[in-house]
Amino acid sequence: MEPTLLKARGLEGSRTLASYLSRGGYEGLRRALALGPQEVTKSVIDSELRGRGGAGFPTGRKWTFVPKDHPGPRYLVCNADESEPGTFKDREIIEHDPHLVIEGIAIASFAIGAHTAYIYIRGEFVRWANLLEQALGEARREKILGADVLGSGYSLDIWVHRGAGAYICGEETSLLESLEGKRGFPRLKPPFPAVVGAFGKPTVVNNVETLACLPSILTRGPAWFASIGRPRNTGPKLFSVSGHVVRPGVYELPLGVTFREIIFEHCGGIRAGRKLKAFFPGGSSAPVLTAAEVDTKADFDACAEAGTMLGSGGVIVLDETVDMVEAAANLAHFYAHESCGQCTPCREGSDWLVDILHRILAGHGRAEDPDTILRICRFASQGMTICPLGDAFSLPISSIVSKFRDEFERRIAAATPAPPRKHPVLPWAGPRPGFGR
Amino acid sequence: MPKLTIDGREVEVAQGTNLIEAARLAGIAIPYFCYHPYLSVVGQCRICLVEIEGQPRLAIACATPAADGMVVRSQTSSRVREAREAVMEFLLANHPLDCPVCDQAGECLLQDHSMDEQGGQFSTHMVETRRTFPGLERRLLGPHVVQNQNRCIHCSRCIRFTQEISETSQLTYVSRGNHAYIDTFDGRPFDDPFSACAADVCPVGALTLREFRFRKRAWKLRSTPSICPGCSIGCNLWIDHHERIVYRFTPRENPKINATWLCDYGRFLAESLNAHGPAPTFRDEDGSSSSPPLEETVRALALELKAARTLRVVASANLSNEELFLAREIFAGYLHGELVTPVWPGEPRRMKNGHGVWLASSDAHPNANGARRLGLDIVDESGLARFLYGAADLTVLLDPLAHPYLAGEEALQLLRVGHTLVFSQRQHAVCEFARWTMGVASLACNEGTFTSGADQVQRFQAAFAPPRGALPLWQWFTLLARELGLARLAVATPRDVFQLMVSQERSFAGLAWEELGGFDTDSYREHQHVG
Repeated sequence: MEPTLLKARGLEGSRTLASYLSRGGYEGLRRALALGPQEVTKSVIDSELRGRGGAGFPTGRKWTFVPKDHPGPRYLVCNADESEPGTFKDREIIEHDPHLVIEGIAIASFAIGAHTAYIYIRGEFVRWANLLEQALGEARREKILGADVLGSGYSLDIWVHRGAGAYICGEETSLLESLEGKRGFPRLKPPFPAVVGAFGKPTVVNNVETLACLPSILTRGPAWFASIGRPRNTGPKLFSVSGHVVRPGVYELPLGVTFREIIFEHCGGIRAGRKLKAFFPGGSSAPVLTAAEVDTKADFDACAEAGTMLGSGGVIVLDETVDMVEAAANLAHFYAHESCGQCTPCREGSDWLVDILHRILAGHGRAEDPDTILRICRFASQGMTICPLGDAFSLPISSIVSKFRDEFERRIAAATPAPPRKHPVLPWAGPRPGFGR
Repeated sequence: MPKLTIDGREVEVAQGTNLIEAARLAGIAIPYFCYHPYLSVVGQCRICLVEIEGQPRLAIACATPAADGMVVRSQTSSRVREAREAVMEFLLANHPLDCPVCDQAGECLLQDHSMDEQGGQFSTHMVETRRTFPGLERRLLGPHVVQNQNRCIHCSRCIRFTQEISETSQLTYVSRGNHAYIDTFDGRPFDDPFSACAADVCPVGALTLREFRFRKRAWKLRSTPSICPGCSIGCNLWIDHHERIVYRFTPRENPKINATWLCDYGRFLAESLNAHGPAPTFRDEDGSSSSPPLEETVRALALELKAARTLRVVASANLSNEELFLAREIFAGYLHGELVTPVWPGEPRRMKNGHGVWLASSDAHPNANGARRLGLDIVDESGLARFLYGAADLTVLLDPLAHPYLAGEEALQLLRVGHTLVFSQRQHAVCEFARWTMGVASLACNEGTFTSGADQVQRFQAAFAPPRGALPLWQWFTLLARELGLARLAVATPRDVFQLMVSQERSFAGLAWEELGGFDTDSYREHQHVG
């Protein structure tokens, strides 16, 4: 397939505005400005573009949730807080083609009637924040952004906001809290951000890759876009493949290719002639698939049928040398560290899983541990929490336990009883800082 | 008005009511920790899960508004019971379960719901070492609040209280996830003027009050509805007492005045209610003193009052409407004395009511408005000084704490001229030379009504009988009235005085004793608020 999102990769000086314009850049925006917001939204609905951030919600439909008659300002937020383990596609787009993202933001802002847009970028992405700032400067100088976008009378400015390094701020409502300068706690929904979003105003939050799809939808038409992939799962998709493959990296492929094709054709198969054991199809929050399920199609619906999700398209490949208990402990550690601490099941459950898994790794597993893990996962997911972080650790970890239970049981069978518990220091055992009265 | 069914009971509620409040109206208690009727809804604790027909997932009752035709299952749903049991298990996974040494035990939501939701089974799958916060087990956050972070269930009520009610935003979360803890910004002391409310809203023993900790187990306490004597706002409160000792004030809900809050100043006046006057003392001209029995005292007082050619009386805006009414009838009406009521502005106090409106105090007395209603002569400090300059045979002080001026050197010199009778709740400089000192029981033993700054007449009740030698002021007055031959005023209870006042005073006409004081809040809701 001819690349659309990554066509600038490998070009000399691809980040500059001149290079972007020479490749037909900002043509999509020009066309959008001529069509008008309704037509743009219709094109995006017709293209069946689904959000690339992880949830796969139809982008055009999301835009229509913004109240038409809202009197005050409304905002578009580009979610560049790419922090899902195993996902590095947005960074790749910004690295090679920041103007593609800016054009996408401009098109989406125009469609929803926003005059201010924010790029919320992951705190660690200092280089990419600077690249975006440079590109925005160029666009402002050339009057592509500002009071009169491309001479159409539509005004738009885009601001880059760097996060402070929290995974949870990639979730759209906590992203908005963080953007407002608050602690990144996810908000209760409803109201949804499209109605009450940033600064209490209607806000659409779209992923970088989603926005990067927009220019080509407008220049080449929704029908072209819809012709790629499978029905309801259309368009090109970036897959960030990491782990034990020969050629890890970002691959642009049509939705609906099989994971076998991604792993064995494009990535050159498993390194050093080993065998595939399992893989996460869409970042670490997606339930794991085994080698037997490698023929699953890589699209939203097919993954849902297989009991997992395409998520962000971050394919993490594990070969036969991987100990699944260790993998689970690694995952649990990440999510316990990143749980915001609001909801009881996620806050307590994630930490509890770490304790159990580390105890098993230390050789002190108990026979009931797998069931306890499954119970924790069951009650920390499926609507038990405000945001999906509860599901994000429950689903993959419970899938690991159910699919690789024998590995847990082997370790537990060889386990020794835990040494006597180390009791925490008694509170009255000595002077404490701040102890009063 | 949506009409819905909760656990098979139909209830009609106001638009916008959430399911917790709707269930409460239907007589069903949905458990909660982070929800508080006067704070914003965050939906963090997840214990209030309910099943709503037609929705695949369980919903949190606190954030779900009641809708017409909704069919909600709480206790009757096995899915809900299972989920709540799991949430309880999560909450207790790292909770120290040190109830026997925890001061919150007995009024702890976690304890209560653990009984309810786990069916008294207390089973857990948790075998790991519990998370602790070394150094944060007994930390003084500010002048009043002691923190034990190990017990915290991260409901964020205290944080929201300082953000939304007291508006100081002093408390915040530090760190993240299971290791988040409550702290003040930058480690400054938690000196919010409402800081003790943070301990009130804390559903567990994570925040407790230095003044109350370990003084009395909560289940021993009895609560008597009363009114704060601290200023003119008239916050509603409970006097918590046991065996005739007052241990603390806790807020009593009144959306119009104090919602469920009390300021630290008013709250910690509780201790002052344990003073019930110096022993009745007669001091002769030669300086010798004696304590005659009550009947003799009253007889001697009456003789003294009748014998005085000029009589002046300093009343007090700290007295109840009934006491002020009796004082006016006896001293001004019958004995033709001159009577003034000093009012001291005091420090400005404020309180946020249940509608988010700040109320400000006009003076430092609970009943200055009552004195105004009764048409008493209100004086300020200079007026009081002028009043005391005027010579009189006999001066009667109904409350030496009526104005700080009365403890000053100038006032004491002026009072030494002629005889002084003092009714006092506490030892006071005037008592040292007064001819008669009569012990007055504190507010905890008194019954009556105050007129608040917003002109609401509010009733308070007596928590316990006064100790020997001290009487509530109204009782001194009725005894005096009988001795003076004023049969009309020699009634038996404050309620009778009130009836008399209602029939006689236009400003109190139409009020009914039983309807005063907002005793309509039911105890379940009370308890859940305070946590």
